Amino acid sequence: MPRLLIDDREIEVPPGTKVIEAAERLGIMVPRFCYHHGLGSVGACRMCAVKVLRGPLAGVQMSCMIEAQDGMVVSTTDGEVVDFRRHVIEWLMLNHPHDCPVCDEGGHCLLQDMTVSGGHGLRRYLGPKRTYRDQYLGALVQHEMNRCIQCYRCVRYYQEFCGYRDLGVLQIANKVYFGRFEDGVLESPFSGNLVDLCPTGVYTDKPARFKARRWDLERGPSLCIHCSLGCNTVAGARYREVVRQEARLNEAVNGYFICDRGRYGFAYAGHPERPRTPRVDGRSVTWDAALDAASNGLSRYAPEAVAVLGSPRCSVETLAMLNRLIAAMRCQHADYFFTDAQKNNVRQAVGRLDRTLAVSLREVESADCIVAVGVDPIAEAPMLALAMRQAWRKDAAIAVIDPRPVTLPFAFTHFAAPPAQLNDCLGGLVKAALRRDSAAGVGAAALEFYDRLPSNYPFDDADREKLAAFLPHLQRSRRPILICGTDIVSDATISLAADLAALLRAGGEHAGLFYVLPGADAFAAAHYDSAATGSFERTLEAIEEGAVKALVVVESDPFRHFPDRARLEKALGKLDCILAMDYLPSRMAEKAHIFLPTKTLFETRSTFINQEGRLQVAGPIHQVGVPIWQVSNQGHPPRVYGTGIPGGEPRAAWEVLADLTARLTLAEEKGNGQDPWPIIAGDLGLDPEQKPSPLAAEGIRVLPEKAAGLEFAAETSFSPRDLPADQLQVLAVDWTFGTEELASYSEIIQQVEVEPKASMHPVDASRLGLQDGQRISIRLEKGEVKLPLQVAENMARGVLLLPRHRRLDWQKSAQYPVVISVEQIVADKSARHEAG
Amino acid sequence: MLFDALRESLLQQIAQAEHPREKAIDVMCEIQKHYGYMSDEAMKEAAGLLGMTPLELEELATFYDFIFREPVGRYVIQLCDSAMCLINDYETIRDHLCARLQIGMGETTADGLFTLLPACCIGYCDRAPAMLINRKVYGYLTKQKIDEILDKLIAEAKSS
Amino acid sequence: MYPQVLFQNRKPDRIATLEEYRRSGGYEALRAVLQSKSRQDVIQQVAEANLLGRGGAGFPAGKKWALVPDDAPFPRYIVVNSDEMEPGTFKDRVLIHADPHTVIEGIIITGYAVSAKKGFIFVRPSYESCAVILEREIEVARQAGFLGDNILGSGFCFDIVVHRSGGRYICGEGTAILNAIMGKRPNPMKPPPYPTVKGLFGQPTVVNNVETLAFVPHIMRNGAAWFKSLAATESAAGTKLYCISGKVNRPGCVELPMGVRLSEIIEEHCGGMLPGSEFKACLPGGASTRYLTPEHYHVPMDFDSLKAIGHRLGTAAIMVFDHKTCLVKVTLNLMQFFARESCGWCTPCREGLPYMRDLLERIEYGEGKEEYIPQLRSMSQHLWNAYCALAPGATCPVESLLTFFEEEVREHIRQRKCPFK
Repeated sequence: MPRLLIDDREIEVPPGTKVIEAAERLGIMVPRFCYHHGLGSVGACRMCAVKVLRGPLAGVQMSCMIEAQDGMVVSTTDGEVVDFRRHVIEWLMLNHPHDCPVCDEGGHCLLQDMTVSGGHGLRRYLGPKRTYRDQYLGALVQHEMNRCIQCYRCVRYYQEFCGYRDLGVLQIANKVYFGRFEDGVLESPFSGNLVDLCPTGVYTDKPARFKARRWDLERGPSLCIHCSLGCNTVAGARYREVVRQEARLNEAVNGYFICDRGRYGFAYAGHPERPRTPRVDGRSVTWDAALDAASNGLSRYAPEAVAVLGSPRCSVETLAMLNRLIAAMRCQHADYFFTDAQKNNVRQAVGRLDRTLAVSLREVESADCIVAVGVDPIAEAPMLALAMRQAWRKDAAIAVIDPRPVTLPFAFTHFAAPPAQLNDCLGGLVKAALRRDSAAGVGAAALEFYDRLPSNYPFDDADREKLAAFLPHLQRSRRPILICGTDIVSDATISLAADLAALLRAGGEHAGLFYVLPGADAFAAAHYDSAATGSFERTLEAIEEGAVKALVVVESDPFRHFPDRARLEKALGKLDCILAMDYLPSRMAEKAHIFLPTKTLFETRSTFINQEGRLQVAGPIHQVGVPIWQVSNQGHPPRVYGTGIPGGEPRAAWEVLADLTARLTLAEEKGNGQDPWPIIAGDLGLDPEQKPSPLAAEGIRVLPEKAAGLEFAAETSFSPRDLPADQLQVLAVDWTFGTEELASYSEIIQQVEVEPKASMHPVDASRLGLQDGQRISIRLEKGEVKLPLQVAENMARGVLLLPRHRRLDWQKSAQYPVVISVEQIVADKSARHEAG
Repeated sequence: MLFDALRESLLQQIAQAEHPREKAIDVMCEIQKHYGYMSDEAMKEAAGLLGMTPLELEELATFYDFIFREPVGRYVIQLCDSAMCLINDYETIRDHLCARLQIGMGETTADGLFTLLPACCIGYCDRAPAMLINRKVYGYLTKQKIDEILDKLIAEAKSS
Repeated sequence: MYPQVLFQNRKPDRIATLEEYRRSGGYEALRAVLQSKSRQDVIQQVAEANLLGRGGAGFPAGKKWALVPDDAPFPRYIVVNSDEMEPGTFKDRVLIHADPHTVIEGIIITGYAVSAKKGFIFVRPSYESCAVILEREIEVARQAGFLGDNILGSGFCFDIVVHRSGGRYICGEGTAILNAIMGKRPNPMKPPPYPTVKGLFGQPTVVNNVETLAFVPHIMRNGAAWFKSLAATESAAGTKLYCISGKVNRPGCVELPMGVRLSEIIEEHCGGMLPGSEFKACLPGGASTRYLTPEHYHVPMDFDSLKAIGHRLGTAAIMVFDHKTCLVKVTLNLMQFFARESCGWCTPCREGLPYMRDLLERIEYGEGKEEYIPQLRSMSQHLWNAYCALAPGATCPVESLLTFFEEEVREHIRQRKCPFK
């Protein structure tokens, strides 16, 4: 381990550490612009100059470009180097507009900081400044090029890190320009990180433009809850609403970046129609009145007549207290998932993960071979695509087995297998890569499993070529990772993936398993869910039979997620008592007889467990209340004097549940203010004395050492049949923007949504006489879905994809996937464009 | 936008290279031979032939001196303004060209015949002052020689 | 008359044909090398001959080729730099117009020395005629069996492709040229890795100036000792193509022994200074070198001698200025060139050069201030910490102007105008 001296202070660092990093560890922040730990060193800005006092590298060196060597002596304060850095700042400020008073970056601007600390104060350059024309880059990122100091961070991030090809560096010399070929929306769903990366105000957060100065914001550590990855963020609020979110470094999960859905999806919390007062039968009432009505209402029923529905977006606090309520009421219908398929999938996945097999998002970057099955990363969990790309940049080979037209910002092998054949394809692929004797070396169970693996996936010629090119990589790999989705697959795929990962691992490799789950807290929901009961599907049956008469819905909207809306409406219409609590202006909130408003994670400490079993905490950012601009309408807030905060009634769901439980059990303690952590710790087997902080570096992993499920017991005989030529399978799928529940309420995300379209393979389209762009009508069991058709080459045949878009009434089938006859798909005769 | 024979020829050239991007400059120069400059449309088509995005091709086009992204005249005059030409009457030649053509540096004549651009050392210092017109070099320039050259080119343009 | 190596077949108005080249012994070296020499033999002989790179840096060619590891992967490439945009330099143009086949044979032998499969000759746009000549003569050489598969029955396969540049000075930089060929923005790439390990398309690549490689067949045919004996000074080796332009009677390119004195070059090979012109200063090796003054008039023009007096030979493109020339104006012009040609990657070059140009402009046009002189001096020093050699080279005229001609600069400031107008 090299040991070196920086400014007379000694430090020992791992080999390969750059001098600039070594200095950081000593608390010495060498000035820098182009260096970024996530992007690497290029040595362009020349700002990080230090003086090496001794050795072969003696002289002025760029600290980001040289590695710490044993015995090195470095000075960051040497006169020559300080003068040099002052010149570099002066040079960078030659063309700068000095428009801090009107620039959003002010207060968190690296250029401001470096200019002051670099010692440049008086402008002596008398020449003209070069100016640029700005471009329109979409609704998310503002472009103001005059401020650019040409650090090249944006193009290195956009092109090298993310792999998108529509933003780059143009021109030459001091006219160098960063932008697109022409005005237009940035293609990358990670473009928001430009705002964080840019050391000046060239790229700023457009939705938050001019809303607050940095020092006006109440900022705190938060989490993105728009998918199961659990990326870390910093949320900033002003005047009672979150104004912007930034990425927060987490070395174990998302690294330095987050996706645009996570960055801009927060606006659901400030939605103008967010329900903020307790209501009984549509009338606003006090909390006491509402809770009384709730407890009175619920205690009228026998335990088997009350059902409870949570969702994968409930925080662990909420789930823990909901669990208490269920126990107190002795409910027999307690659901956390909307369909049996979803529940089985998530429980299967969570059950198969253990500490040795599970890999984190960051660890995906170090895979040397990835096989992903039944997952569309950019649509479901965008940051996963970015992690896969980093692996690809280090020469990993990547294969995706999925019927959807998966696109990724790097070269990968795509097997567009239809859902029925996913397992055969996956099993066949891994079997072809492994040698039988390595399976034998693991043990009898593994060998038997290996022999059972299917090897009859009908690879056509094109697929065979792809397989031939891909297999050697899997054969040679020492760190393969299996990624499996839980949305469009069956639970058979999920257990097959786990066993295959175990097989690969046992063969002496560091194999890993990674599941993408449906929701920020799906892992915890699966933990609290019980194997004994079914999902909401069973509960719905019970409601229809009249067995269940009351329903408690906690931060959940089945109208959004349940595939058969008509059935849902009818069934709920039979209920005498619906109690709902949420923070979204959802249909469920409307339908409820008793409604209780809850707080978002920006308003109360909320814990979530991500897909890898990592427990992380989002801290509260601001006091709950109506955002001031909604009260004042750009004017002065109404001069009404009172002690409460307008719209400040929402309470944390766990508190409400604790309160309700207390009332129902007539307990002495109301449970108000009782910290749910000890209960959570008890439920998860964690130390109640070690309450995690939102600022904890890497969260707490709650996985067991060894998985509960039986290894090598997965089903391997699938006998898939091709669909007859006159049938198609309809799949409900997610898109990056427009399908995720919370983000779809965000007015910012609504601006970047695209119109929902159905997707079909060209062979099927021509068979049906349909064309790309044509409006079609799909006649499903419970109604028609009308939308334009999009024809895509890179997807499976015999499949029709329907996005679960907020602008589309797609909930018209008893279940998805559903097989329909081709006659059920026709050109849409009605000329009018149907509103969503 | 590119006529068929040109497109075919470009595709053939690209196919000869091990990596299509190698041919980016050649493709743009070939297109310029026919259309004078690289319009936005030409950029998009050329990028498609090369398997690049228009932005990626633009990154190259805007870097180089001999790729034009704005319309140019039939004859592009690139007048060397580096040290050896400078001390050998460059200023006289420049002023004469501007006066004769009635345009400033960087401009195109109204009849679309001549564009006058500066160029850095074109490598004909032994024949200073020198200039290129459509990549052909003219050295040992004098005011009289300039007039002769321009007259010849104007006549050539008229007759075609 | 000094012995002519590269120019031995030079004709006044056309290239030397293949036949003429062969008559003077051309392609015999290739035959001999393919038949009886190993690649290590070639590298060794070229190293012994002390052939220094003629592109400006002066790095020993043999040593560079030896940097390609024995176990380096295939394919490997040769890149021949004929970009030559250093002001004052035109030797490569003259060479290609004189005897293209000495260049071609040199590239093939170098390809053999590093087991390369392909050579790229990188030609600047204003040398379109050179590109045309090279393409034609490469085809001629191929027809004659010197290029392609199984050259002269040896099993060695090699071909040469002409790559036309889009036109920028920075393309001539040793790593930027690789980016340019690959169709990327030609920013320089600081090693590691070195191009000999990972260069063009990520493969081992040797980059050499065209003049350097043109010597290779002659060294292989006549031996290292012969090459060394051609020079005028002890430490130097071989001949050099000197370009002379500026205030002399016969500007042009001449082949002279390495180390001939500056005075001899000007007086005997260029017809002396123009009538009425006295020697005031010259840039010995293109715009990226320091002014030589009358004090240095008799310096031997080789790498070591100039280094010994704190100057650089560079490309040996001698730009001669007379007593009537304003050196501030010349330096300003050079600075305009460098500022315009900066690739825009690193801060000192991109912003510092225009700043220095601005100061020189003010001095030249009568708005100069005393304080600009120490500013220019300190910036000249700091520019040595730029990313590549362009900015440090750009400071040489400025720094040497202030060192040797400070009075002239002060006169501009005092008189509030250029005293030479």
